[in-house]
Amino acid sequence: MFTEVLSAAPQSGTNAINDFLAGVKPEFVPAWAVPLTAVGIAVGITIALVSVIAMFSTWLERKVSGHIQCRYGPMRAGWHGWLQPLADGVKLLLKEDLVPVGADRVMYVVAPAIVLASVLAALAAYPLAPGFFFADLDLGIFFILAMTSTTTIGVVMAGWSSNSKWSLYGAMREAAQVVAYEIPLGISLLVPIMVAGSFNLLEVSRGQAGMFGMDWYIWPWVNPFMLPCFVLFFIAILAETKRAPFDLPEAESELVAGFMTEYSGIRWSFFFMEEYAAMYLYSVVGAFFFFGGFESPLTWGAAKVFGDGHVLYHCAAGLTLILKGFAGVFLMMWLRWTLPRVRIDQVMTLGYKYLTPLALACVLGGSLWEVFVAPILPWRNG
Amino acid sequence: MSAAVKYVKNVVDTLVTTLVGMKITGKYLLQKPITVQYPDERLPIPNRYRGIHYLEQEKCIECLACARACPIDCIEMDAVRHGKELEWISFTLDYQKCMFCELCVYPCPKDCIHMGTEFAFVSYDRSEFVHDLLSYRGMSRDAKQRMVEAEEKKKAKEAAKAAKEAAKVAAQAAKEGKEAAGGGGEAKA
Amino acid sequence: MAESTATTEREFMLDVRTQDMEVNMGPQHPATHGVMRILMRADGEICTGAQPHLGYLHRCAEKIGENVEWLQYLPYTDRYDYLAAMNNNLGYSLAVEKLMGIEIPRRALMIRTICAELNRIGSHLIAFGTYGLDIGAFTPFLYMFREREWMMALFEKICGARLTYSYIRIGGVFNDAPPGWLSEVERFCDVFEEKWQEYVDLLMVNHIFVQRTANIGVISPAMALDFGLSGPMVRGSGIDWDLRRDMPYELYAEIWKAGAFSIPLGKGERGALGDCWDRAYVRVMEMMESIKIVRWCLDSIAPGPVIADIPKTLRVPAGEAYVGIENPRGELGHYVVSDGGKVAVRCRVRGPSFTNLAVVEELMPGTLIADAVAIIGSTDIVVGETDR
Repeated sequence: MFTEVLSAAPQSGTNAINDFLAGVKPEFVPAWAVPLTAVGIAVGITIALVSVIAMFSTWLERKVSGHIQCRYGPMRAGWHGWLQPLADGVKLLLKEDLVPVGADRVMYVVAPAIVLASVLAALAAYPLAPGFFFADLDLGIFFILAMTSTTTIGVVMAGWSSNSKWSLYGAMREAAQVVAYEIPLGISLLVPIMVAGSFNLLEVSRGQAGMFGMDWYIWPWVNPFMLPCFVLFFIAILAETKRAPFDLPEAESELVAGFMTEYSGIRWSFFFMEEYAAMYLYSVVGAFFFFGGFESPLTWGAAKVFGDGHVLYHCAAGLTLILKGFAGVFLMMWLRWTLPRVRIDQVMTLGYKYLTPLALACVLGGSLWEVFVAPILPWRNG
Repeated sequence: MSAAVKYVKNVVDTLVTTLVGMKITGKYLLQKPITVQYPDERLPIPNRYRGIHYLEQEKCIECLACARACPIDCIEMDAVRHGKELEWISFTLDYQKCMFCELCVYPCPKDCIHMGTEFAFVSYDRSEFVHDLLSYRGMSRDAKQRMVEAEEKKKAKEAAKAAKEAAKVAAQAAKEGKEAAGGGGEAKA
Repeated sequence: MAESTATTEREFMLDVRTQDMEVNMGPQHPATHGVMRILMRADGEICTGAQPHLGYLHRCAEKIGENVEWLQYLPYTDRYDYLAAMNNNLGYSLAVEKLMGIEIPRRALMIRTICAELNRIGSHLIAFGTYGLDIGAFTPFLYMFREREWMMALFEKICGARLTYSYIRIGGVFNDAPPGWLSEVERFCDVFEEKWQEYVDLLMVNHIFVQRTANIGVISPAMALDFGLSGPMVRGSGIDWDLRRDMPYELYAEIWKAGAFSIPLGKGERGALGDCWDRAYVRVMEMMESIKIVRWCLDSIAPGPVIADIPKTLRVPAGEAYVGIENPRGELGHYVVSDGGKVAVRCRVRGPSFTNLAVVEELMPGTLIADAVAIIGSTDIVVGETDR
């Protein structure tokens, strides 16, 4: 029964691992162990992916911030500091595991876990390559948005349970900010969803297939409201991931480290991993909906040369997506080191009075374009 | 200005100033950083730099002008005088107190204490910070020789003076003798 | 307080009194410029009261002045406003020279003015950079340090120290500028003018920065005069008062008459007159004015002696003197009393940061905590000067 339940769920990548393991299973291993191992391996790959992404992002952040500020960034741990995240990780693991006096122990310990787990869960719906994914959800983007917003619970728990007034300030600001920006985030994604006709990420990516990226949704000839939607989407994800200019929850100069003040060692690194993983995840979402997802001249070339099912085609597609994701991450970092911080009431004003009405206006315009203008455009398939 | 115009102006202003700012930071992103990676690379230190002191021990006459000039009394020196020459015991500067103000350099009549370009001073033990600036203890060979020469000269001078005194006394005695003899002679005649 | 007259449960819940949270900003805090503690009462995010607590950096500088000789006190003057040490030395030297009644050679006056103005630039750079850091812009701080590094290298070449110079002494300056120093100062001025434009573009006109600082911490002209503020605090509110022009010392009377510099005033360009943006703007504009003064001095400097003839053991004639100079932060005053001996009888320092800080208690109630940080940053205090 257990096996039936597990294999009934739509899992393609895990299915592949499952089949492979069933094929090589030695005699003495019972049948129910195979799906479990397959799921374990899939989860392990996801966690490894998140860790590598987070580690690379921390290195990239330090180098980008360094060069913007006319300095080098890490240089001593390996060539140009590429081993620095590893050194940091080892250091954090060796730190004292500390729970502040008066802190609510259970919530304090659980909060970072919730925060990281929600991002890991969101990664389940995101495909690594056109043929390798963990869950081909028809609700793709909806699921991702829902899971990433549960990080707020963890943040508020962290701020409250730290038994420190400054952490509480950070947590309250975070809650208000994230809730305010969920709305423009979702609404601004409606225009590409309308054009694609589906929530499923793979469908959206396939809809933008074409030579030289001419079919990417961002271009004005597809829908002129895409570019403003992307700008709104980008601002919304800056606020969601608590990056400058919306980094009040961890406003260094005011609140030391906001809701993370009382955390140290591996618990603190959970928050940081979540931040960078969420940044990557959101920019990948942006890449899917606005910049073609898997489609790029590289993928198109690989499809022509190697064919659609070849593993190199999948590699090219996967590489394209990673590059697009990190381009978004780089842009977020560039903005962080350029702009000052926005005050909390101005964040709210921006979210409710500027972003939401503008997003609604874009949706209105975009849908009118889709209904009346798009059918007569030859490159939109009539 | 009406609310609608202000609204649009806000949006435009934010976008424009953001892009201008990004252009500046982007420019520096692509330039070579200005960091000098100490300790592999170092900047040249100007020769007036106020670093750890060094003493030209030969010239020093232990006049204590630098010790008196120091606002915090970091300088202490100890030597035995042999006439004009000094037998050095210690010349310490307490770097736990020194604020590198250079007030000790100026009053020196012989211009023998200077501040060098060394700035790194690391130790596991506080007592090492009471730094002795002497390069040798006791007397140098030249100083000893000079002292010996000075003593010999002094002795010679004294001997000469004594000889002169003795000669003077002898002359005096001779004169008196002569006078006495002359007087006696006169008395006899 | 009246007894609750609630009868139904709903009325009772509305009657529940919540307590204001008492939050401690400092003594260790990234936004207070030094070890200073501000006790804030906050109702949620809104600050309802603030009280600065000082004394964490008190080092008995004035008492030391009564125990060490006149020249030996000079390194101590460096250390109150350590970001603008040349100006502190200048203030003390001027006070003692006034008592002594000696005349300073012209080249010494020129070099002193150059050093004081370069240090003003350095101090305003820090004010600007750390203000950006308080508001959340991390990069202008690093760019500012690049220029300040150059300024410190210039001072290192002339006197051997980077932060606490003890260079401007009673009677003149300690030693003459090394060859090539003056042309390097000129090169610094040229490069600085380009970078200045970048600072303005990156931070000052940035819309987010303007939103954070305009209409915040508004000091009306009447309030400025009531609290006895000085320096950019008072000029940001539009009051035209600068000691370099109104009570000139050194060469400033001559420079002002030559029309070499002007006094920037806050005009309420981006919000109310006298808000934080105005003060930050005044500081940024003053940097350019300092460059103009330095250029005038470079053009007019001539060879000559750099220190007057003063005895090695200085005995200052009996009397008292007060000299106030324009520190980057405001009016720095030295009041020295002598009885004719080797040691001062009283050496009182009027630190501008101490007086400027008092207005914070008036400005903070009613603002958000983020604004409180902006207000403290705009007063540009150095706790070394507040506490001495």
